[in-house]
Amino acid sequence: MLDAARPRVGGHRVRAAAVRLRRFASVGGEVLRNPTTLAGVTIIVAMVGMALLAPVLTEPNVPDPYQMPRDWGALNEPPGTPDHLLGTTQHGGDVLYGIIWGSRTSLRLSLIVVSVTVAIGVIVGSLAGFLGGRVDEVLMRIVDVFLSIPELIFALAIAAVLGPSFGNIILALAAVFWVKYARIIRGQVIHVKQNDYVDAARVIGDSRLNIFVKDVLPNSITPVAVQATLDMGNVVLIGAALSFIGLAEAGLAEWGVLVSQGQAGISAGRWWASTFPGLMVFLWALAFNLVGDGLRDVLDPRTERR
Amino acid sequence: MASGHQDLPASPRRRRSPSRGRSVLAVSVALVLTLVSCTTDGDDDEDGQPTETGADAVQVSNPDEFVHAADDEPLSLDPAQVEAGEGGETVILQTNDRLVEFAPEGPELDPSLSTEVPTGDNGLISADGLTYTFPIREDVTFHDGSPLTADDVKFSWDRVLEMDLPESNASLLADTVDETRVVDEFTFEVTLQQPNAAFLNSVVTQAVASIVASETVEANGGVTPGEPNEFMATNPVGTGPYSFVAWNRGENMLFEAYEDYWGEPAALDLRMEIVPDPDVRVLGLRAGDYDSIETDPSFVGDVEGGEGIEVFAGEFLLEPIHIGLNLNIPEGALPPEDTIPTDFFWDPRVRQAFNYAFDYQGFVDGALGGFGATVPHYFPQGVLGYDENMPVYEQDLARAEELFREAGWWDEGFTISVITEEANLFEVAALVLKDSLEGLNPNFSVRVLALAEARFDEFHATEPLPFAMWVKNADPFADPHAFMREYIHPDGSWGQVHGFANGYEDPEQIASLIDQAAVSTDTDERVQIYGQLADLLFEDPMWILAGNEVALNAHRDWVQNFVMNPLWPRPSLKFALFDK
Amino acid sequence: MQIRDYVLRRLIILPILIVGTSIVVFALSRVGGSPIGIYLSHEMTQEEVAQLEERFHLNEPLPVQYVYWAAGVLRGDLGWSGVAAAPVTQVFPQKLAATLELAIAAGLVAVALGIMLGTYGGARRDRLADHLVRVFSISGAAMPIFWLGILLLIVFWVNLGWAPIGRSDAALYRRIAHPTNLYTVDALMAGDLRAFFDALRHLALPAVTLGYGTTAIITRMMRSSLVEELNEDYVDAARAKGLPERIVLRRHARRNALIPTVTVIGLSFGFLLQGTIVVEIIFRWPGLGRWMADAVLRGDQATIMAYVLFTSVLFLVVNLIVDVMYAYLDRRVVLGT
Repeated sequence: MLDAARPRVGGHRVRAAAVRLRRFASVGGEVLRNPTTLAGVTIIVAMVGMALLAPVLTEPNVPDPYQMPRDWGALNEPPGTPDHLLGTTQHGGDVLYGIIWGSRTSLRLSLIVVSVTVAIGVIVGSLAGFLGGRVDEVLMRIVDVFLSIPELIFALAIAAVLGPSFGNIILALAAVFWVKYARIIRGQVIHVKQNDYVDAARVIGDSRLNIFVKDVLPNSITPVAVQATLDMGNVVLIGAALSFIGLAEAGLAEWGVLVSQGQAGISAGRWWASTFPGLMVFLWALAFNLVGDGLRDVLDPRTERR
Repeated sequence: MASGHQDLPASPRRRRSPSRGRSVLAVSVALVLTLVSCTTDGDDDEDGQPTETGADAVQVSNPDEFVHAADDEPLSLDPAQVEAGEGGETVILQTNDRLVEFAPEGPELDPSLSTEVPTGDNGLISADGLTYTFPIREDVTFHDGSPLTADDVKFSWDRVLEMDLPESNASLLADTVDETRVVDEFTFEVTLQQPNAAFLNSVVTQAVASIVASETVEANGGVTPGEPNEFMATNPVGTGPYSFVAWNRGENMLFEAYEDYWGEPAALDLRMEIVPDPDVRVLGLRAGDYDSIETDPSFVGDVEGGEGIEVFAGEFLLEPIHIGLNLNIPEGALPPEDTIPTDFFWDPRVRQAFNYAFDYQGFVDGALGGFGATVPHYFPQGVLGYDENMPVYEQDLARAEELFREAGWWDEGFTISVITEEANLFEVAALVLKDSLEGLNPNFSVRVLALAEARFDEFHATEPLPFAMWVKNADPFADPHAFMREYIHPDGSWGQVHGFANGYEDPEQIASLIDQAAVSTDTDERVQIYGQLADLLFEDPMWILAGNEVALNAHRDWVQNFVMNPLWPRPSLKFALFDK
Repeated sequence: MQIRDYVLRRLIILPILIVGTSIVVFALSRVGGSPIGIYLSHEMTQEEVAQLEERFHLNEPLPVQYVYWAAGVLRGDLGWSGVAAAPVTQVFPQKLAATLELAIAAGLVAVALGIMLGTYGGARRDRLADHLVRVFSISGAAMPIFWLGILLLIVFWVNLGWAPIGRSDAALYRRIAHPTNLYTVDALMAGDLRAFFDALRHLALPAVTLGYGTTAIITRMMRSSLVEELNEDYVDAARAKGLPERIVLRRHARRNALIPTVTVIGLSFGFLLQGTIVVEIIFRWPGLGRWMADAVLRGDQATIMAYVLFTSVLFLVVNLIVDVMYAYLDRRVVLGT
């Protein structure tokens, strides 16, 4: 990696890399020293564990485990009923099953959406930043248009057009969430481009790709990582809102769907079918917010604790 | 609940709390509490109506008007524009009269604007069954003050035919009526295209055949072919017991008892609140704000037994919830996930197997809350010819397995998609089907696609339909022939769309039986033919009839003279008959 | 860059963004096919469908349809709402008033509470109060509004019977005139206290539910900028002059900390807007959000388009105003895009 022909630049990179490495090594410890972040990490571990162990914890529904099992002879059973620890829904679905498999649904949703949007954001943002000029102007105006429609409303409009299904919720969220990453990356690219060492690198003839991989990306990782962590929570939050409004497919084991269904029974005192799944959405989003916050405190020198 | 308020600090002055900065949360909680106590306090003075908490509402609220909470906003109040089964029909039933009407109890016809119900015996139906004569009632005035004559009747029917709006039920008249004639000022005559035993029941009694005031129409835009009349869509003017007052969109519709009504005038004015949310309707009923509410099986259990509330479970609605089987699937049109061939349902064994697999009990007891029953093919309870001895499918998993094996699908399995409207009983029916089939054999997979109403309707307007199965309810009809023509006849509207001719063992026989029953004026003969059809269709089903709902209405116990007839459009009530 | 230039530049970009948004909105509405579905009933024939398509110009090519639509929008014709069974423009003002009343109430709660809590926590950094404020604000960002709303409903409506759903009591609604359709204002104008408190009682739960997320955002920003300000030299100087801590906090630090908070208030406006959809569903609030949700479920494109276009233009304008205000408030801000 080091090239004798450009010691100055390389030396800078070594130092920066070393600093970064030390910071990253200490991040883990530092993050876990903060009690709220630790709480977040604990919840995430529990949730992800539940998602991974779902087939062990409950017997998967045949043929599609992501569908609620329905027992048309056991509607609206209250919590504590044998076989239905947290009660059943108005369709005789086991609320506990919905919570456990809902965690898988949420994990799937957030992982797919966040990885896709980070990829799109990186591509669009770096194109805009590197090419500059007209390309930048056009791309950024598109970004502005996307930012001019509030997230949930935009996702709702897209999902409405595509029709109710889980896949379409993923599409709608991806279409909405990439914008922030594009902004972050573009900002970093322009910032890095202005730095002396990149000028130096360019003078020496470093290719743009090289600059991107060696300077821009490492510098962008911090804000992107923070945003991605927060979005792991936000995606589930907004996704659940979309399913609450009615855009998930029928009978899916998903938290927002369960809250929505359970809503109909609350005037008759059937509180369980909506409150338990809603609590899960809250905990999920809370955990990623706590960790994202903790990460930002540790990684971002501007808001470092004083 | 309301009685607890004495314990709370109850004074509006409290709101100006000086301790703003100290504890924000405490202040805001106190604020909410104060607000609550202020208003509950207010309930005791002034007109003394406890408004939100119904437990202690013993006296009749709104003594001068009847308040009904409907579930949907009407689209149009014009008989020439209103769709079958849509909210506007409910309004037209109250504001407009027709020549003859279904009697409050049962399927018999009562005279209305026609002073006699035409029959062969009284000579008002010609011997060839083609000409109907209606003696028009004299001394009837419209709400606009103009007198009713035979010209108004002719005008009303001709208007529907001339406007011929696609969304309307105009085809009912267009498909049957050949010519309308004014014989003299108070005699109206109509000639049919062919004899039709169901003419009075399924055409003359329907909203589309309501009589409107010609003067008002002519003064407000007249009649333009193909164009809706904006005035009439929002201002019904008829001869009915209620005259229209106002329509506050999204809120309510107001009607006044028409003093000059030719029959018994209504005792109360009428207010129809538009309340799409079942929870709000239930709450308003409990509180006594509403005298009756649009009720459906999904929540009736929550109001049953409530203090001061009566639940009326009447006859069956005439709109069975059914699952359609498509025998006319274009090659390559199905969703890619589907593994069935396009002629999947051509095999009667497959159709029978689906019928045997469906969990009727689960649907009727679960989704319909027990307020329903299974239906023979295709004769809903209450319609002429229905007989409880007609064969009805019951879940028989062994038989279903056997049939699937015979048809060769058991080992191979299949994936099939069913479309339904979103978040209602139809979706539940689709889920029951899914659970029934997937529970029977893990190789079977049913995808339930719950679509927005607009998408669902759009797919239905595409011919041929690119899905193998769909769920909806039937349009309500008053005569068995309408069900036969619509849902069974190989050349009927669904018969064509779904290619029933591809599936019936003997389509000719089915068609000729239906046609024969339609033109017969002998009721016994019709009943006998329908019995024969029911047996044939049980062996050769074109639908899965998930179940039929009971007509339900929850109302306050102070409502007097309550009566409900499912042959009237939903909610099957004539409010002018009630008092409280 | 001068502030004037900045404002000018933003004003020039605004119409471009609005046109861009309208194209996105129109394109979206046609991705899923023709918007004809909402006008159909499920048993219409092909000819009847064609007749209806002609009535609504849906048989024209897409760009022509866009022009029809955009020209209609400019004329104040937003099409026919299948859900409301009326022209969109006829229903819009009433629904907008309902949503505005809710959003304004929630916004007031959020700004007042947010600034107070943020100041409270920031001034007591790392003490118990501060930790509680932080938990409160982080929970706000993670709170699913639909869940909070349902919890509040279960407690205050089902169990305690204090807070009703809907916008007003039907009898009280009819007792007074509704010139503004903001029920609290209408009641005050009519001098009817009972109707006023009834409107407030209906408003309380949805406003608190809707306002929570925004309260959290404002609290968080207020707290962190106050912490930042309290570390500035001028604060130390003021303290050294012997000014009481209370005065230092109120006169200096809080005032400066408010500046960045203003921008968040602008941003959280979008949060409020999108929150109304869910809140209106739960509390049966007859506003724009609930209308939009119904339109989405039934595929009523005219309503969806009108709603998305309206909210995004509103959002753009509010953001512009906030940015300009911010620029005036803090000349140190680097102006740029």
